[in-house]
Amino acid sequence: MDLSLDDTQQLIQESARDFVRNACNRDALLKLDRNPAETMTMLWPKLAELGWSGMAIPEQYGGTGNSLTDVAVLFEELGTGPVPGPLFSSAVLGAHILLEAATDAQKQAWLPAVASGEKVLALALTEAQYGWSPEQVRMAARQDGSSLTVSGTKVMVHDALHATDLLVPVRVDGGSAHSLLRVDAKAKGVSIRALDGFLTAVCEVVFDNVRVSKDDIVGEPGTAWAPMQRALLRAVPVLCAYKVGGCRAVFDMSVEYSRERSQFGQAIGRFQRVQDHVIHIVNYLDSARWTTYEALYKLDSGLDAASSVHVAKSVASESYMRACDFAHEVHAGIGVVREYGLTLHTKMSRTLYHCLGGPKAHRRQLERALKLC
Amino acid sequence: MRESRNGSLILDSRVRGNDANRAPSAHAIPARTHAMNFAIEDSPQQSAFRAEVRAWLEKNSPPGIEHSADPCDMTLAQYQIRRSLGRGLGEMGWLYPTLPRQYGGGDLDAEKTVILYDEMARIGLSLPPYYDAGGRMGAPTILVWGTEEQKKRFLPPICRGQVRTWQLLTEPAAGSDLAGIKTTAIRDGDAYVVNGQKVFVGSSHGADQSWAIVVTDPKGERHKNLSWLMIPMDLPGISVAPMDLLATGGEGGSGSGVKNTVFFDNVRVPADHLVGGENNGWKVATTHLEMEHGGAGRLADRRVVYEFLDFCRKPLDGHAIADDPDARAELVEMFIEAEITRLFALRNHWLSHTGQPRSYEGSQYSLRRKLSGLDIAERMLRIAGPRVLTKDERWGPLKGTVEYFQRDAITSLHPGATTDIQRVIMARRIGVGRREREKAGTVR
Ligand SMILES: Cc1cc2nc3c(=O)[nH]c(=O)nc-3n(C[C@H](O)[C@H](O)[C@H](O)COP(=O)(O)OP(=O)(O)OC[C@H]3O[C@@H](n4cnc5c(N)ncnc54)[C@H](O)[C@@H]3O)c2cc1C
Repeated sequence: MDLSLDDTQQLIQESARDFVRNACNRDALLKLDRNPAETMTMLWPKLAELGWSGMAIPEQYGGTGNSLTDVAVLFEELGTGPVPGPLFSSAVLGAHILLEAATDAQKQAWLPAVASGEKVLALALTEAQYGWSPEQVRMAARQDGSSLTVSGTKVMVHDALHATDLLVPVRVDGGSAHSLLRVDAKAKGVSIRALDGFLTAVCEVVFDNVRVSKDDIVGEPGTAWAPMQRALLRAVPVLCAYKVGGCRAVFDMSVEYSRERSQFGQAIGRFQRVQDHVIHIVNYLDSARWTTYEALYKLDSGLDAASSVHVAKSVASESYMRACDFAHEVHAGIGVVREYGLTLHTKMSRTLYHCLGGPKAHRRQLERALKLC
Repeated sequence: MRESRNGSLILDSRVRGNDANRAPSAHAIPARTHAMNFAIEDSPQQSAFRAEVRAWLEKNSPPGIEHSADPCDMTLAQYQIRRSLGRGLGEMGWLYPTLPRQYGGGDLDAEKTVILYDEMARIGLSLPPYYDAGGRMGAPTILVWGTEEQKKRFLPPICRGQVRTWQLLTEPAAGSDLAGIKTTAIRDGDAYVVNGQKVFVGSSHGADQSWAIVVTDPKGERHKNLSWLMIPMDLPGISVAPMDLLATGGEGGSGSGVKNTVFFDNVRVPADHLVGGENNGWKVATTHLEMEHGGAGRLADRRVVYEFLDFCRKPLDGHAIADDPDARAELVEMFIEAEITRLFALRNHWLSHTGQPRSYEGSQYSLRRKLSGLDIAERMLRIAGPRVLTKDERWGPLKGTVEYFQRDAITSLHPGATTDIQRVIMARRIGVGRREREKAGTVR
């Protein structure tokens, strides 16, 4: 048993740390937070240059074919920022969906551009009646000679504002089976709007009689759901790793502040109540970390990973949010001053809480994975 | 025993007033305009008062009074509308209804005060309809510690809504440790010369006066070197800079708006603005803090919870959130949280306005409000999904009120003492680990 990182992973970790320290220091992140659109000019070219957009993509499609754990090591570091942007949506989730669902010709046509960062994918799955299960995905597409016409609204779509291509599950002619469409984000009839509030880069995407060619049906029509689920299962732990990074940053900040800040003539960390808050944070951090690492290990080893993935996602979602709560308790007033930077995590922890299914949704899937129902 | 009796106090939290000829029931009565309404059943006299208040408010609340979901969005024009409503309420004695009439208050009993808050809440506002911490906490404190001349001079303008005040306690190095403040006020002839910096204070659109804790004896012993000053905000040497916070506390029409940093640079404050005597500020603080820690309750709070229940009942796209049994179970938990908090507040209101002894109840309410607020916010996120995070016109529930609550629930852990400090106070008041129980601050 060896739970340490291998050499490649250590290299990835170091370069990612470097990147966060330099390109994504607090000032840069605050700037992006005020102006999310700048993410693509400020960060994206650098990420692509570092080869990160190709890590999860096999060599035959222009990537470097790294293991999921390698990719997760990167995302854990990015989570410490938290570094925003569509790297996960496009290069991990989107890429895996294409790998699982697309025909080989489609993979050849699209994946190299995803690996190079030229194409940016976003999955537009959830709808007004929010949820990640098949019955909650109802948007219809109409057969229209040699093409399809799509109308409807997808909402709470992560990173759509940065995307060049949307992956859109629909039901053709109102049937029960799902087909997955690739839709150009600039196609006529597509409008994308980032939603304002306590969340980052989450959008509404409206499709108004958008014409999609049959070539843009990803894989076989009507069979998209199962491969999409396989892709989700692989992508989820990488997202969890990002949350682990978030928990770690929030933990580091809190420990440091507990030493620096003094009240009543002593460091606040000497008050047991403050110690309790920090202990909560470290417990959340480690719960998220080890459930995530196990899921990654199982996936990379080809073992049955479903139950571990569901555990990881429900634990990591809750942990990141709670770690932020306790970090706020440690910091009191200064923690809610935006310039201080803690609120970047607070907001991200909420933004990602339901992404790819919230704790409750994953617990339900866990019931099935454990054959309890 | 006080503590054990307390349990029944909570359940039996009906408010008894002089003119109540029967014990009103604490049960909810059927809806008037909203689906949910939690009023205490009125006696005929109280119904008459309710009708009077409602008619007055209908006539006197100007158009455009609606509060923005995020108080930071309140425009100057909206603020001025609130101030004018405040002056109208002040003339009726309804702005500070429990304060004595001779100083501009309303001399109302606890029950009528509940009715006033209730009716204000019905139109989406609270009392006062703008942030006035120096009035809410300062005025009752002046009543306890001011000279007769000071009461006559300071209280009527506050009670009539002519003067709005901020409270200036916190400093960069002194939050929980309030006695550790550094801002000095040194006597020089007929004035105190003030120098220093306060943070996390005030609200949007300025204040007329600020109620501040200052060091009057820099060499003095801790707790014996402080004083309370009422500082007119138009004096030379004062500057105010807004802070950018996640949220600013105070849902539903009572929010402060922007919090600020305030700098004092050789500001000369007339010496007769010092309340409670030189170097007696810590005692004055105990009264003020008792109010701030929830000693007087906070009525008509948590409207967002009841509105959220309504929201979850309404179908969207053929499906109501409450159709799901898991969501219902969470909604029930949320409701219970809100009920306990509401009843703690009502109890404190009753205790304080019927002049009864209190011990840990103020901090208990504050602690409960803080923790249940965060708990409720997170339940909302679980129940209704990521929509609660947006204030988007189309997708944000309750016109952005829920999105604001998501931010505010985190922020509200801190103002008026953190959860840790509230626990410390409770333990001392209960007498945990010590024979001597700490006393609650005097409040009228
Ligand atoms: C939205 C908002 C509005 C505010 N409004 C006002 C206002 O109008 N006027 C005003 O004067 N101030 C205001 N404040 C300031 C507020 O009162 C302080 O933030 C609060 O008292 C905590 O102080 P601090 O932020 O300096 O935290 P600190 O005192 O530095 O606390 C840091 C941590 O140490 C813990 N701690 C400190 N001492 C102890 C102890 N003895 N035992 C156990 N734990 C301890 C705290 O609980 C916290 O976890 C506001 C703050 C906010 C966020």
